[in-house]
Amino acid sequence: MASARVPLDEQVVTEPGPVGKERTLPALHPERKEDRCFVPYKLLVEDASPAEVEEFLEYVRFIIEDLEWLLALPHDKFWCQVLFDESLQMCLESYLRHAPRSLDITVLPSSPAVAEMQRSIHKTIFLTFLRMATHKESKENFFTPSVFGEIIYENFLFDIPKILDLCVLFGKGNGHLLHKMIDNIFTQQPSYYSDLEETVPTVLRVFDSILDKCGLQCEGATAIEPLRLTAHKQPTAMSMEQQDFVDILLYLSDSTTTIHAFMDIFPAACTTFLSHGFLGRLTLFYEAAVPDLERAVRKRNFDDKGLQEDLWRRLSHSCRKMVESAHLLLHHTCLQPILEGKENMQTFAEELLQHFTSFLPEKRFLADYNEQFPITDDISLLHQAIPVIDETRTSYILQGVESAHDSLGRGRPQSLVQFRAFS
Amino acid sequence: MSHPRLTGALRSFSNVCKKEDFTEQRYDLKTKRLKRQELFAKEGLTWQKIVHFCSEHQDRAKQQAASQELKSLLLAAKQIVGADHGQEAIESAAVFLFETFHNKDHVGTEETRSIRQMFGPFPSVAAETSCNCVARLVAPLENSNVEDFIQTHSSHHNSKRGSSFGRNIVFSYDCYTLDPLEDFPSSSSHKDMSLDM
Repeated sequence: MASARVPLDEQVVTEPGPVGKERTLPALHPERKEDRCFVPYKLLVEDASPAEVEEFLEYVRFIIEDLEWLLALPHDKFWCQVLFDESLQMCLESYLRHAPRSLDITVLPSSPAVAEMQRSIHKTIFLTFLRMATHKESKENFFTPSVFGEIIYENFLFDIPKILDLCVLFGKGNGHLLHKMIDNIFTQQPSYYSDLEETVPTVLRVFDSILDKCGLQCEGATAIEPLRLTAHKQPTAMSMEQQDFVDILLYLSDSTTTIHAFMDIFPAACTTFLSHGFLGRLTLFYEAAVPDLERAVRKRNFDDKGLQEDLWRRLSHSCRKMVESAHLLLHHTCLQPILEGKENMQTFAEELLQHFTSFLPEKRFLADYNEQFPITDDISLLHQAIPVIDETRTSYILQGVESAHDSLGRGRPQSLVQFRAFS
Repeated sequence: MSHPRLTGALRSFSNVCKKEDFTEQRYDLKTKRLKRQELFAKEGLTWQKIVHFCSEHQDRAKQQAASQELKSLLLAAKQIVGADHGQEAIESAAVFLFETFHNKDHVGTEETRSIRQMFGPFPSVAAETSCNCVARLVAPLENSNVEDFIQTHSSHHNSKRGSSFGRNIVFSYDCYTLDPLEDFPSSSSHKDMSLDM
């Protein structure tokens, strides 16, 4: 048994060795892990045969049993297993990669046994990550915070894709716990912020690749990958194979849901996204892709009308998530500091107005954004919080919003009409 | 087929995670079962302890009957674990069967699943035989004594009594669902059309 009130990373234990002779080891030592052979989580295909379902259930049962065993281990033994058992890390990552998302077009077969096992493994996986994100389990069981930060980072116990997976898989009902987990991970190991910095350009490339696959381009994408003169004519959203089109919409709904879930659960990430010009690229993408994809969903010939409606709902859901993500970015980086009455309110107000101004050319995005989050509300807030706000500028923005609604043939929202009447 | 995911792209195209070949199959069910049998064999309850427990405090006739049942249980275990395994593996399997059936009067779904999980596919007749043998072995003994014997010697049972991390955590199974901004336009255009007509 490890000694109490000393961080785990400094503890030593005396226990019998392989030949029975007592030996002293650091509490965290590879020889203290048990050879358990965690199996990976496997994706169950939609048209699985009974034998495949049975095999899936067997894998899941083994994982649940092993993780329950793991969670029941004392603190020191748990961490030896986590750090030195590669099969455990493979098992956890395989779940994050393959676990069905509720937004997947094919969900697990509706067998009660499969559903029950899936629920059970889902919770056990979450608890395992929760324990791995906890550096202080009790007064007796804890790490030196800086060593904890080093351990989780150096051993890839958490990385940015894993954190995003955790958000999209568990964030809906466990946001509070997830926030505490992710906040602790980033606090104990600030290198995760650098990794996030490195990740945002790849996220942007995902949007570029969608535009590219649809034969569309926006300014950012052109700047990165100039089109070759000899390039073959790209298929468009209308002309590509149906499965490719379905995949694009699935990819878009997964990407937008994941990004939104992450920003919602961990608002501190918003600053990083904003600093990489994410907001501008998102609005450009929205403007370029959404009308084109909508047109394709409406006009393409689908044998299965259910699929067509499902794709529309997915696209529309993606639009909501993009708009909500833009709002989260503005809320956490500009509006919240103003609401909290922080210093430099004028600077935050200036930034907010700058962002609104940058939305003006993107009429479709602007109209959709304004319908969800009336810009008049935010401008009204600015007028209340900062007396010296430039009215000419705010008026110019509101005219732009009106114009966006008009150009799309949409009626002006009530909030806008009322605001204009009172101002 | 795997689904197109943002995190899949990040794993492929960014440098912020460990690069591992996930197509490589580390452990399959067969390897896992062998490992599980190995771990079970290391647990506290042994075949010798069961033999001693079933024979002690019995008269000679009952001891002989018990000895016969124990032999039959070993034979059934051999059929379940496979003939190519050594005596140690067979005895360990017999221990597992004794633990599984000590308080059961028939081979139910749970027991079938449990045996299959440990040894893979097995002849059902061997499970029936095991169940009957164990029933006859424990019949002359007090139920509470058998239960105490299992609880005392099996580290598997003991470990389950311990506290587990997260048992008090309130976990939500809620998940994100599609939340579209607007419905598919065809439904509204249908309405328009019917009005026009």
